[in-house]
Amino acid sequence: MTAPALARPVTQTVAKPTIGVALDVVLYVLLGVAALVTLSPLLFALSLAFQGPTLAPSIIPDLTRLDWGVFVAVFQREPLLVRWIVNSFVVALAVTAAQLATSSLAAFALVYLQFPGKTVLFFVFLATLLIPWEATVVPNYLLVTSLHWKDSYAGLIAPFLAGGFGIFLLRQHFLTIPRELYEAAVMDGCGRMRFLWKVLLPLSRPALGTLAIYTFLNTYNQYYWPLLVTDSAVWRTTQVGITFFRSSEVQLFNLQMAATLVVTLPTLLLVIVGLRQLVRGLTAGAVKG
Amino acid sequence: MTAPALLASVVNPAGRVGQLREATRDLGWAALLALPALAVFATFTFLPFVRAIWLSLNVTDIVGSPVTFVGPAYYLRILGLDDTSTQTYLRSILTTVEFTLLVVPVSIVGPLALALLANQRLSGIAFFRTIFSSPVAISVASASVVFALLYNPSVGVLQWLVNGLGLHVKGVLLDPATALPAVALVTIWTASGFHFIILLAGLQGIPEDLHEGAQVDGAGRWRILTRVTLPLLTPTLMFLVIISTINAFQAFTQFNVLIASGGPGGSTNVLVFALYSSFFKDNRYGFASAISVVLFIVLLALSLLQYKLLERRVHYQ
Repeated sequence: MTAPALARPVTQTVAKPTIGVALDVVLYVLLGVAALVTLSPLLFALSLAFQGPTLAPSIIPDLTRLDWGVFVAVFQREPLLVRWIVNSFVVALAVTAAQLATSSLAAFALVYLQFPGKTVLFFVFLATLLIPWEATVVPNYLLVTSLHWKDSYAGLIAPFLAGGFGIFLLRQHFLTIPRELYEAAVMDGCGRMRFLWKVLLPLSRPALGTLAIYTFLNTYNQYYWPLLVTDSAVWRTTQVGITFFRSSEVQLFNLQMAATLVVTLPTLLLVIVGLRQLVRGLTAGAVKG
Repeated sequence: MTAPALLASVVNPAGRVGQLREATRDLGWAALLALPALAVFATFTFLPFVRAIWLSLNVTDIVGSPVTFVGPAYYLRILGLDDTSTQTYLRSILTTVEFTLLVVPVSIVGPLALALLANQRLSGIAFFRTIFSSPVAISVASASVVFALLYNPSVGVLQWLVNGLGLHVKGVLLDPATALPAVALVTIWTASGFHFIILLAGLQGIPEDLHEGAQVDGAGRWRILTRVTLPLLTPTLMFLVIISTINAFQAFTQFNVLIASGGPGGSTNVLVFALYSSFFKDNRYGFASAISVVLFIVLLALSLLQYKLLERRVHYQ
């Protein structure tokens, strides 16, 4: 791979002939249409949110009478919305922190330590990628139920404290760091843990950043597992919460859309801010140019 | 000299014990560092997987404990091979395949077109790249809530489209002919951001001098696209075909939010939804486990196919 997508600086071409200019106009028109199509579901949601509690909303709202109050009203109508956002943040942050820790430690063992059974350990971790979530969901549901972990952070968080994807992402990155660094450090009397903490992890910030964004996004956007392990409304996460809110407020289109936009905002901001970071790390492994 | 080292020098002057110690010197650390991840995987992946296989061979009670061993009976039921010869689950498998065929081609060709557009050198292109990537932030649950209103006949956004195509007007989600494509569309939109990111990276990984060389040789834009760009992009395309197939097989959220049942005439009862209904609604843990094992076998086959194809790095040059 040369430069990853979006990370490559956009260079301006100099002095174009007239045909080039005409082509650019066509390209901009196409880009504009494509952008509009891509954003249309979000624009639609925004449009409906602004139109008040009408049962016959139009596609484009009356721009002179936008109902900004809907974003306040939705928190009054559904007081638990704040709690759902808190739940989602607690779960996503805890899972992200735990995966950074467990993946770093496991990947460090795989790459730097010498011990019998290293290959076995590698394949054990690989196997976790081949067993889909659906194949374990019934026993996991029974386990969490029997532990009385339904309606608790423990039940929402515990199954995701480690992940094969994170281990392999970090392993790939650790392999690109010259091994001599480790050998020299250990020879100089630097302990393994000290090397991991003071040298390896600071050098791996890009990969850790990618893993953090990826894990946070995935966890925040989870639906299936939180749906299974939450019975009471207080314990719902945002994704489960808005779908229940939707079925209870079937006729209030504006509030439905406002709630959806409110819970989407954190991940949307995260992607806008962290896109380069995410792309750089993900595509290094996925695309073999 | 410490006791073990002394012993080593006596027992094995050539230092084989020393080598052994060298090979195992980090064993304690390795065990300690791998332990957290291993404990999580053992508890929530490996043991549950074994338990799912065991449950799938048993009739279970209301709390999921095995009651009667029935062997492969549930698997025969799923495949429509037992006395009852129900076709429900065979149909679920077919519906899953149909859904996958609706999703995969469009969810790759669409973002491919976007990536080709966004790979042009224009000022402000970074802005468009961010927009095309943005669906990666949106959860399937949120997207489904929005699309549920888009599809709502009383909102009427799709009305003109529906009328124009001569389709039924009672709502796309209530019609067996349109329900599955409607769910597929949500899936395509939410997947488009990730697919765009991967495809644009793939395009940018193609060395530019190859394009320039083809241009010098007098090849037109279309010819360069079909003869140079796309062949070189095949590894990326294969990766996305497999990944999106696996994801389509696992799709659940959009079905539960948009339809929340087997759909009109059972037309959207995909395998993962049948799994969910049988254990979460009906408490049939044994039978649900059998569905999950079938799903595992299908997904494993797809994963192995992925590794094989990616290893070969298809290039047809």
